Amino acid sequence: MLRRLFKDIQGEILAIPGRLIALIFFILLFFIPLITQEYYILFVLILVNIFVIFAVSWDFVSGYTGQVSFGHAFFFGVAAYTAALLNKYLGLQPWATIPLGAIAATLAGMVMCLPALRLRGPYLSLVTLAMPLILLGIIKAFPDVTGGEHGISGLPALSGSRMSDYYITLIVMLASVFIMWKLTDSRSGMVRTGIILHAIREDEIAARATGINTIRYKLFAFIVGGFFAGLAGGLYAHFLKIAGPATLDMTLSFQVIIWTVFGGIVSIYGAVVGVYVLYPLMELLRQFNVPVWPGSEIMFSDMRFLIFSAMVIAILLFMPEGVAVWIRDKMERQCPRCKLSNASWRRTCRACGASLY
Amino acid sequence: MFQAFVIQALVTGGVYALLAVGFSLIFGVARMVNLAHTSFLMLAAYGMFYTTYRLGLDVFTAILISLVATIIIGLVSYKLFIDRIREHEVTVMLITLALATIFQESMILAFGAHFREAPTLIPGYAEIFAVKVMYQHLLTIAVVAVVLLGMWLLLTKTKLGIAIRATAQDAEIANLMGINVSNILLVAMGIAAALASIAGIVVAPLWVVFPYMWMSPLVMIMAIVVLGGLGSIKGSLIAAFIIGLVEVAVVFYLPGGSFLRSAIALLVMVIILVVRPEGLYGIVFEEERL
Amino acid sequence: MKKFFFICFVSIILAAMILPACAAPVTDVIKVGVIGPMKFMEGENHWNGAVLARDEINAAGGVNLNGKKYQIQLIKADSNEILSPTDAAAAMERLITVDKPDFVIGGFRTEGVFPMQEVAMNYKKIFMNCGAATRALQAKVETNYDRYKYFFKVTPYNEYFLVSTDFKMLNMVATILKKELNLPATEKLRVAIVAEKLTWADAMVTTAEATIPKLGMEVVGTWRPSDTATDVNAELTAIAAKNPHIIFPTFSGPVGVTFGKQAGEMQIPAAIVGIVVEAQKSGYWEATGGKGNYVMTLNTYADGVAVTEKTLPFLAKYKKQFGQFPSYTAASYDAVLMMKGIIEKAQSLDPEILVPLIEKSEYLSTAGLIKYYPVGPDTKAPACPHDIMYGPGLTTGLGTQWQNGQLKGVWPAKGIGTGGFENIDYPGIVPYMIPPAVIEKFKVK
Repeated sequence: MLRRLFKDIQGEILAIPGRLIALIFFILLFFIPLITQEYYILFVLILVNIFVIFAVSWDFVSGYTGQVSFGHAFFFGVAAYTAALLNKYLGLQPWATIPLGAIAATLAGMVMCLPALRLRGPYLSLVTLAMPLILLGIIKAFPDVTGGEHGISGLPALSGSRMSDYYITLIVMLASVFIMWKLTDSRSGMVRTGIILHAIREDEIAARATGINTIRYKLFAFIVGGFFAGLAGGLYAHFLKIAGPATLDMTLSFQVIIWTVFGGIVSIYGAVVGVYVLYPLMELLRQFNVPVWPGSEIMFSDMRFLIFSAMVIAILLFMPEGVAVWIRDKMERQCPRCKLSNASWRRTCRACGASLY
Repeated sequence: MFQAFVIQALVTGGVYALLAVGFSLIFGVARMVNLAHTSFLMLAAYGMFYTTYRLGLDVFTAILISLVATIIIGLVSYKLFIDRIREHEVTVMLITLALATIFQESMILAFGAHFREAPTLIPGYAEIFAVKVMYQHLLTIAVVAVVLLGMWLLLTKTKLGIAIRATAQDAEIANLMGINVSNILLVAMGIAAALASIAGIVVAPLWVVFPYMWMSPLVMIMAIVVLGGLGSIKGSLIAAFIIGLVEVAVVFYLPGGSFLRSAIALLVMVIILVVRPEGLYGIVFEEERL
Repeated sequence: MKKFFFICFVSIILAAMILPACAAPVTDVIKVGVIGPMKFMEGENHWNGAVLARDEINAAGGVNLNGKKYQIQLIKADSNEILSPTDAAAAMERLITVDKPDFVIGGFRTEGVFPMQEVAMNYKKIFMNCGAATRALQAKVETNYDRYKYFFKVTPYNEYFLVSTDFKMLNMVATILKKELNLPATEKLRVAIVAEKLTWADAMVTTAEATIPKLGMEVVGTWRPSDTATDVNAELTAIAAKNPHIIFPTFSGPVGVTFGKQAGEMQIPAAIVGIVVEAQKSGYWEATGGKGNYVMTLNTYADGVAVTEKTLPFLAKYKKQFGQFPSYTAASYDAVLMMKGIIEKAQSLDPEILVPLIEKSEYLSTAGLIKYYPVGPDTKAPACPHDIMYGPGLTTGLGTQWQNGQLKGVWPAKGIGTGGFENIDYPGIVPYMIPPAVIEKFKVK
């Protein structure tokens, strides 16, 4: 058993630079609180963890099925509000409200699916865009229940301390990312969903022609994506102790697209990289409290949205597939014969020995 | 009350129609979700504000300068940022979003996040069936008519228009037929930017000019274009009036809920789309293998 | 090219990490965090007000503390609260833990101040609220004193007092209209209520619908557009069809500009009186292209009105330095000066010592006498502990009207009102002007 695990690690992780980096990165994350306990840094990292779950779930729904959702905040907001309402009216604690919120988001995913199954392309995108906006209207119409534009504040904290908040979000994030990565892994022997989702994305009609019930798989994608987005929403609400209309905002829906596409769509880890680079970057730019030119009233930090957008454009122009995918393509090469990934500096495939040139 | 309702619905629909036409063109032809579309409108509105109030130019020069400047910005940003990666659909969308943010932030740096005014082209109002209608609104409807006529002539009577429509239907085949798809898209982008800035010049005086003004109309415009059916300008026109009618109906018959006007309009859009998945006049997507 | 961008990217990140660390620590300063939506008018006013106070204090030598002179140092933090309350929480967290200010002033939008309040209380930092009216923020002091005692209001008084002032203004306009238009005593004035769909306005609408009939007027309808509506033409047409004498708006968002502008363009014959936050600002005239003429709103400052002896010098100084008229969030000026007095009295920067002193303080600000409602069972709603007291001789607010390009004070006018308000006589108040379209349409000859 142990030997098998060891062998797996050696063969499947250490041999591929991308996975090795991912492993080192995730292990490092566990040690961050040992290096610094600065509240603000942990604050940012906790939000990063939460948004990673959210971004990866978008990639799962939109990247893998090709159904670009403009309204992913719908799941996030539904879960945040459900968690808050459950706490406000039934007095439930985070350990119950967060999973229940995620389940509510799953149900919301099914509701959103009904039009989604009939619609394609931009038609679907627009319907998903409309959903959170319609829900926002409903929330504003019943301020006694929902708190109107103030939202529901005073929720119990995730846990007592900043450090345990960090570990909770980190572990939930790792588990969620791992599950979604497995579900989309096209070479996995255990679950078939990965290869089928890939097939649907590449050519839905062809997939249907081979006897795949594409509708069932799209439904599946929305349900899983909705669940994890909801998980993020519940964590967010309890971490900031407030569930407000901002959780349903259009900017949040677009934000998640920015993160994922920047990192690399249809890759799961692209979304992780996107959030881990862009979210702290924005916070770094906020630190940049120096005048643009000596004596000027305008600070660099005032221009952070401008600098941020310019950077996103500049990088995407050279890496239109996304940063993570671009780096992976530089580091890894697929064997032309057995389709296994190899480090780019190898001359022959590590499994079948075929030449990589 | 009823005639006020009907006239208002027409006026609101007219404003939306003008905003939606350009977006419909670029969406239909280039298959490009240009999230920066309404930010061109915002740029034109700021152009009008700056040239008339700050530089003191007369209205016609101001219109000319704003129009030309916006078109140039549109063409340059297409050439620099979008053309080379237009194969990557989602990336293009993202870049247009980033562009819109850059325009917005530049306006904040230049003029601050204050509310401004673009000059009213024809001040005052007319009374039609005892209902007050601003001349500016009547002008909007007239401009919509002219723009639509112009677009129809361009798309059906000229070689360029035929090339644009060919590209809209199938870019690959159009390319094989000797059409320079890249140039056609550039032209389409130029026209779309021009239409956006015309909309800005005509509609912005009715609104308030500020750096975030591009956000809320963007959603409604996308809803209208998709409701009408991709690439169908006729569909967009009809959808604009449907959305306008729904919004005004909410304001008139549910006054305490007039904040719900967009939400209800969007709900109507969703319902119509569920019944007719390809929009009012759209092509059936099933046939098209992207 | 690729390399160039990459180098830019890396160097900016490095610079961002190194530069804040390089800023040499300066001793003998009192650090004041100024947090607000810095890209917007409100945040700009927060900052400008604080800058005036800082310059004034530092020029006079600084703050006397334990025999030493301390200079005031301001730290600017953009909360971006108007667009994103999450950003607001992050900005407050950064401000407190990285810049370590001695106390924090600012805040504007209630939804953004809620999370900022939580963060500030986590660190037991004094937070002077200079912009969010909502009583619910202050009510937390009542429910959990130990946690929230560091939270104080500087401006404005809470929404219940706003409502009550609002009706005083409405009543004044109604009286003037009836008299000047020669309306028969039996005819009831018609009032259209327009309020943005936000929670604070909900309370306003319910009260207005109940109170206006008691004032002898008739409500013809209630419209609730979105606070960010870009076009209220449909609402205006619907309102005009009901033929009201008075339109009673409650707007804090940009819809206030749209509404005033379109109403002016269509020359809706009705007197607009209520709360239009945008009309409180000097930019309103330019933003509406002059079409917001005759709009009357509750306000804090007006051209040439001396609410206290400090008002006019402050207005003059503000105009000279920033070229514009302050809006109410510029009360950060008062907040800094008030804290200076309290720190000198306490001879300490410890919040635990400062809080009781602030509670008992009396400070003559540019907008009235600031006193806090006491903590304890005597303070009943609508009053609230750590909220500023309302009434004649304390803070009253002003009713201002746009009169041909100038923001004039028209309320409280001597002899109008009850409960002590009839005795208020602020120098610089001018008579209310009835819009000509109203006279033309309704005047009985």
